[in-house]
Amino acid sequence: MIRIRNLSKVYDTRHGRVEAVRGINLDVAEHEFCVLLGPSGCGKTTTLRSVAGLEVPDDGEIDLGGQVVYSGPQAILVPPEKRDIGMVFQSYAVWPHMNVFQVVAYPLTDGRKRSPKHDVMPRVRGALELVQLRDLEDRPVTDLSGGQQQRVALARALVSEPRVLLMDEPLSNLDARLREQMRLELKKITRSVGVTTLYVTHDQAEALSLGDKVCVMHDGEILQVGSPKEVYSRPQSLFVAQFVGEMNFVRGRVRGRDEVDSPVGKVKCPVPPNCEAGREVTLAIRPEHLSLSSASGDGEGAVGGKILSKTYLGDSTLFEVEACGVALKVRLSGDSDFDVGEQAGVLFPPGRWRVYS
Amino acid sequence: MSAREALSGATLRRAIAGAGFTRRVTQEITRHGFGYAASGVVGILVGAPAIAVLLMSLRVGIPGRGGPLTFENYYRAYTDPIVLQVLLNTFLFAIGTVLVTLLFTLPLVWLFNRSDLPGKRAIFVFLIAGFLVPVFLRAIGWILIFSPEVGLLNTLARSLFGVERPIFSIYNLPGMAFVQGLSLVPASFFMLSAAFRAMDPALEEASYVSGASRLRTIRRINIPVSWPAIAAVMVYMLMLAVSLFEVPAIVGWPARIFVLSSLIYFAVTPNVGLPKYGIGGAYGLLMMVLGLVLAFLYFRVIRETKRYAVVTGRGYRPKMLPLGRWRYPALAFVAVYLTLDFVLPLAALLWVSLLPHAQAFSAAALSKLTLVNYRQIPELIGLRPFVNTTILVLLAPTLSMILSIFVSWVVVRQRFRFRGVLDGLAFLPHAVPHILFAVALAYLALLFREVLPIYGSVFIIVLAHTIAYLAYGSRTMNGVMIQIHHELEESGRVCGSSKLRVLWRIVIPLMAGAVCNAWLWIGLLSYREVTMALVLRGPENVVLSTLIWQLWFAGLAPEVGALGVVLIAVVVPIAWGARGLFASIAHGYSGGTDER
Repeated sequence: MIRIRNLSKVYDTRHGRVEAVRGINLDVAEHEFCVLLGPSGCGKTTTLRSVAGLEVPDDGEIDLGGQVVYSGPQAILVPPEKRDIGMVFQSYAVWPHMNVFQVVAYPLTDGRKRSPKHDVMPRVRGALELVQLRDLEDRPVTDLSGGQQQRVALARALVSEPRVLLMDEPLSNLDARLREQMRLELKKITRSVGVTTLYVTHDQAEALSLGDKVCVMHDGEILQVGSPKEVYSRPQSLFVAQFVGEMNFVRGRVRGRDEVDSPVGKVKCPVPPNCEAGREVTLAIRPEHLSLSSASGDGEGAVGGKILSKTYLGDSTLFEVEACGVALKVRLSGDSDFDVGEQAGVLFPPGRWRVYS
Repeated sequence: MSAREALSGATLRRAIAGAGFTRRVTQEITRHGFGYAASGVVGILVGAPAIAVLLMSLRVGIPGRGGPLTFENYYRAYTDPIVLQVLLNTFLFAIGTVLVTLLFTLPLVWLFNRSDLPGKRAIFVFLIAGFLVPVFLRAIGWILIFSPEVGLLNTLARSLFGVERPIFSIYNLPGMAFVQGLSLVPASFFMLSAAFRAMDPALEEASYVSGASRLRTIRRINIPVSWPAIAAVMVYMLMLAVSLFEVPAIVGWPARIFVLSSLIYFAVTPNVGLPKYGIGGAYGLLMMVLGLVLAFLYFRVIRETKRYAVVTGRGYRPKMLPLGRWRYPALAFVAVYLTLDFVLPLAALLWVSLLPHAQAFSAAALSKLTLVNYRQIPELIGLRPFVNTTILVLLAPTLSMILSIFVSWVVVRQRFRFRGVLDGLAFLPHAVPHILFAVALAYLALLFREVLPIYGSVFIIVLAHTIAYLAYGSRTMNGVMIQIHHELEESGRVCGSSKLRVLWRIVIPLMAGAVCNAWLWIGLLSYREVTMALVLRGPENVVLSTLIWQLWFAGLAPEVGALGVVLIAVVVPIAWGARGLFASIAHGYSGGTDER
């Protein structure tokens, strides 16, 4: 549905040229929810705005549902108003001089798919029903709360039944509780409408919970594309490992094809093919994969350590343990009896370590 | 219990209640001492002149000579057949001025903020310089070109085509409105640009994404969304246009076209006879009411624009629309404006300043070019105007800023019950015409000449400017102070410093840059101001601007040219050097620039 090939964009800033997007490729299938995830300045918003037509790329090709909307080599550029899209902006961008109904009706009264008058009313009402704002249609939008304005923006983006929905950090202006609630609702609404969605965020929890497909970007490049589960459990690079979820990192030295020496002992795990023996690498393991035992001695897949801190989080408890000169984070589900200052053994389950050069 | 005891009980209770009330009042005053002090000072500085206008309209004769209050002035002022014509003139002049201003400002603002117009920086400097050149000098420049008798253009036409009758004349209402309207373009440009930049570009993008075309987006989104900002500038400029004096005097007077401000001026400074303060007051009151009504309207519109300020995102810089082949017409438009408002009048001033007497451009004239007008400046005017001007431009901004900082600190920071009133009082000099303030101050100074002998000295002009620019200063400081997080100040208090010490050690250092900017800006406004200085002038307190004014009305065009060029030559390098500062003023300021 969305096909991006070799997209690149360079900005000239006061501090020189900045390559915002460096020749990325991305495919989003029909009805798929794809999240672009990355820190600020990674090029995700530039990519999204290029798909919308609000930003003109320097090179590459963008194809929306079989129609080429941008092509550098062929000099094709379809303006945003001629692309079959809906978009939700970070600032909502609801027009302050209109009421809720007028804002949502705009794509039908002034947009690309003008509808006959008798058709506008039911479609706008349907869209408002979808976002549960049916009662507020006569209110000026400036009277609404942030969360409600957000819903108006979503209704406007969906009312013309576009084939592609673009969202640019739509939840970042909401407070934490509301954000979670809207996240659930967004998922439900986009599923029920079945619209192909491209979603930009820097919040990894949002990305993992919303996306069918998560696409991690850094420095204008795509580092990894995959299902949320793949991205979380098998990060392909150190950056992805750092950015998505929590990780323990330990320096190590390659010993053989599936063996690495580290302060916490010999670790058995597959080593990337380009790493010959003797090379310095970084080992990574998630805190929830580690566990503690009251036996404090070293053993197979276990090292003795001392508990430095304990943070009770309700559904889990986070420990910081010093073992072999390395501080490790350990997450145990539920409450646990270990206390600060105690000696404990840290257990490393086999097959959870990952190695990055 | 006897009746007597009951009585004494009631008295006692009343006494206790009375004491409680007194205690509450003293508590209130000691707790909000700064608030009451600031309100007192501003109340006297702004309120006294306003009341003086009312007072002098009800008195006949010379200030200070007692007499019963009377409505005679009103009767005489408003039965004069001239008054209807004057009101009509004022109305037409104000409307015409605002129309001319918008005609140039709107395209300029759009081109500057939303298109890839080349040479923006240079244009910006020109606009700043244009803002700083006194309006009356520009008006004089225009007269030098378009006057039917001595105008360069008409004499040129006469010698070239042998036409007998002058082909252009500036001495009419459209001429006045045109000159005044042009002069307000830089100020309204800065105000509108600030509002334009505060607008979220996503509003427009959301329309494109909805599938609306560019034209439709301009019609349905851009214009309605920017309308409150445009309306605010329109009302503000209308408020100014009603009160402005320089152009109506310089252009209107020779043609005997009066508006309210010039009528008041000539009532209180007649060429023959005693000043008629009573008549001035009677017209002044009407003018004050007009100003206040417009100020009220302005606040209403501003409130509307605040409502329009919705959540903004990361602030994507709005895309600059490529002009393509339209860039040349666009540049031509800017060039026409700059030529009309800046180049042409200044060139005319420069031209006459280099000739023994005003004449059209010709080979014969070229051979007569001379610097004699410049050389004779010191001898002609002496040292005093320079000394006075220096005192004025150093003292007025200093006093005004001290007061402004104090006032906005109380308004923004202290939980003072009457801070709204204080803020309103400090805004009043924006709404009440400056000429009225000056007339009222002159009246008060005459009334109290025994107590405070400042009538006719430069200090009364300093006082007038201090009051007048308090509005600008406090508005700017309000904006700056809101941006300083209140916890910065509270942490100072928690560390054990008094309110005043926190103001001095924490708040003022944090806004030092903005304070310096505003100080310099007020100094420059003071430097180019002529209206108030003129009303308050005496033989001792001539400043450069009033001196040029007097020379002009004495018919000494070459000398006016030379002095005007000197006056501008001082300002333009400052404008060039302080580009960054003015950019920050233009950027952050949407509450009106004091264009008077």
